[in-house]
Amino acid sequence: MKLAFACLVFGLALLPAVATPFFVNFVMTQTLILGLAAATIVFLAKYGGMISLAQLLMVGIAGFMYGNAALDGGARGLNLGWHPWAAAGFAILVTTLVAFVLGAIASRSTGIYFLMLTLVYGVIGYFVFAQIVEISGPGGITSIQRPELLGPPVLLYYAGLLLSVAAYAGFRALGRTAFGLALQGVRDDPVRMASLGFNVPLHRALAFALAGFVAGLAGLLNVWWNGQIDPASISIGPTLILLIIAVIGGISSLKGAWLGAFVYVLVLTYLRDLPLVDRIGLTEARFNTVIGVIVLMIMVLSPEGLTGIVHKIRKQFGETRP
Amino acid sequence: MTPVVQVHDVTVAFGGLHALRGVDLDIAPGERLAIIGPNGAGKTTLFNVIAGDIAPTTGAVVIKGRDCTHRPSRHRPRLGLARTYQKARTFSGLTVCENIYLALAGHRGRHRTLWRSAADRRMRQEAAQVAGQVWLSGQLDVVAGELAHGQRRQLELAMAVAAQPDVMLLDEPASGLSRGERERLVELIESLDEQLTLLLIEHDMEVAFRVAQRVIVMADGRQVMAGSPDQVRADPHVHQIYLGTEGA
Ligand SMILES: Nc1ncnc2c1ncn2[C@@H]1O[C@H](COP(=O)(O)OP(=O)(O)OP(=O)(O)O)[C@@H](O)[C@H]1O
Ligand SMILES: [Mg+2]
Repeated sequence: MKLAFACLVFGLALLPAVATPFFVNFVMTQTLILGLAAATIVFLAKYGGMISLAQLLMVGIAGFMYGNAALDGGARGLNLGWHPWAAAGFAILVTTLVAFVLGAIASRSTGIYFLMLTLVYGVIGYFVFAQIVEISGPGGITSIQRPELLGPPVLLYYAGLLLSVAAYAGFRALGRTAFGLALQGVRDDPVRMASLGFNVPLHRALAFALAGFVAGLAGLLNVWWNGQIDPASISIGPTLILLIIAVIGGISSLKGAWLGAFVYVLVLTYLRDLPLVDRIGLTEARFNTVIGVIVLMIMVLSPEGLTGIVHKIRKQFGETRP
Repeated sequence: MTPVVQVHDVTVAFGGLHALRGVDLDIAPGERLAIIGPNGAGKTTLFNVIAGDIAPTTGAVVIKGRDCTHRPSRHRPRLGLARTYQKARTFSGLTVCENIYLALAGHRGRHRTLWRSAADRRMRQEAAQVAGQVWLSGQLDVVAGELAHGQRRQLELAMAVAAQPDVMLLDEPASGLSRGERERLVELIESLDEQLTLLLIEHDMEVAFRVAQRVIVMADGRQVMAGSPDQVRADPHVHQIYLGTEGA
């Protein structure tokens, strides 16, 4: 298991040497960014029993904060003109704090109420950035530069890979610490956790802040990769797509987040190149329908998403081999 | 001696339903008290009030001289109080060891540690020891959701024992256990520290009368009788209200 993981990471590290720049810098970088963001949904769902629709908002907040702080003399935003790394630190700090506050407000709700509340966060966040012209406005912030260190696109790919591996390993390790076990206790029985002495709402809020921190990192990568950010990119549609990515991979599987992102980006990128797609009426505007059908098929076949399907196949193989 | 737990004229109303109607109770340090009574008498509700899981509608709860009437349950472990639940509330996604580990972590205030230290390893060893006390050594790495019913009750008990409380509330620990398991349960309770104050709700009279020094009988949200096990056993009134409903 560990060996397979090491091989995969090694392979991904060597990828730029063998694959086309388009595949690496477009398909794979995007996969890593979306996977990292979706992994925060999985983390909260798997360990905390909280299904959050506010994770893309955290990605967006980090992006907007970076744009406002780093840009100098741009068309919109605060144009603070800070050093890129100071701007990045500021963006992460703000995102984490906002996540803590929003997490604290939602910390007494569970299940469907928590989901609805985080959806409301997403909607409010969208309007905040769409309507407050000082920090963004509907057109968003454009011509955002990334730090010089990450100048060549392939370095952004490596940054995505590094952060993804760190987040994956970090979340897994966290699950076995006192904090992580307590979070799982809160998921299974909050009443019992309280009577054992734990502050359940605070624990939920801290987990939400941690997920916000990681989503903020994904947000930085995202804004560096795009060079711009606008409110439409954190509206309801993309919010749901991030949830769908987590569901495709399997909502309780951390690796599934990246697997789901990979499938999503592949469909988005290559569906148009398949022969005959436009003959059967699959224009670009209808790709979401295809994605919807894929999600439906996966959920019917396996509630555990693609990860569940992989496990099933592996079991079959294990049984048929002598 | 000043009581460790004092319940003053507590009432609890769920909407129009009165689960408790003016209960007074003083529990001395080291006392072993059994609470019996028919279904719906309000026994569990009384535990919930003492443990802080629900706040009483009127009345007061004082633990070790401190007014805890409206203090939430998470402050109870610091006062040395631990409880079990009638319907086992274990963490179904965690192993036996991790369940007990959490009981220890909650008691010691190690709630938010983000790394695994030497203290952590010691707590896991302690958890394994406690599991041994309730005969769960063989199931240390079994996920609680996969335990048999009786084993889950043993785990429930382990989570209360682990924190080494001064006051322990056990809500029907013997329910659903086989005859042999009940015998072991009584042995376990008898092996606990003499100083421990123990409150026990139990339908199994045999268990209740063997463990307790004092028995109170509840019915319809009130205490209807109190006395030594022998007195209660001999009381015809108790037979009427208790066995009248139970044994019918
Ligand atoms: N959370 C609640 N909401 C509404 N009613 C409740 C609640 N908890 C208990 N009750 C009601 O209060 C009454 C007392 O319940 P309680 O659980 O204290 O009884 P009990 O003596 O423990 O009974 P049993 O022997 O069946 O466990 C019952 O009528 C019960 O239905
Ligand atoms: Mg009860």
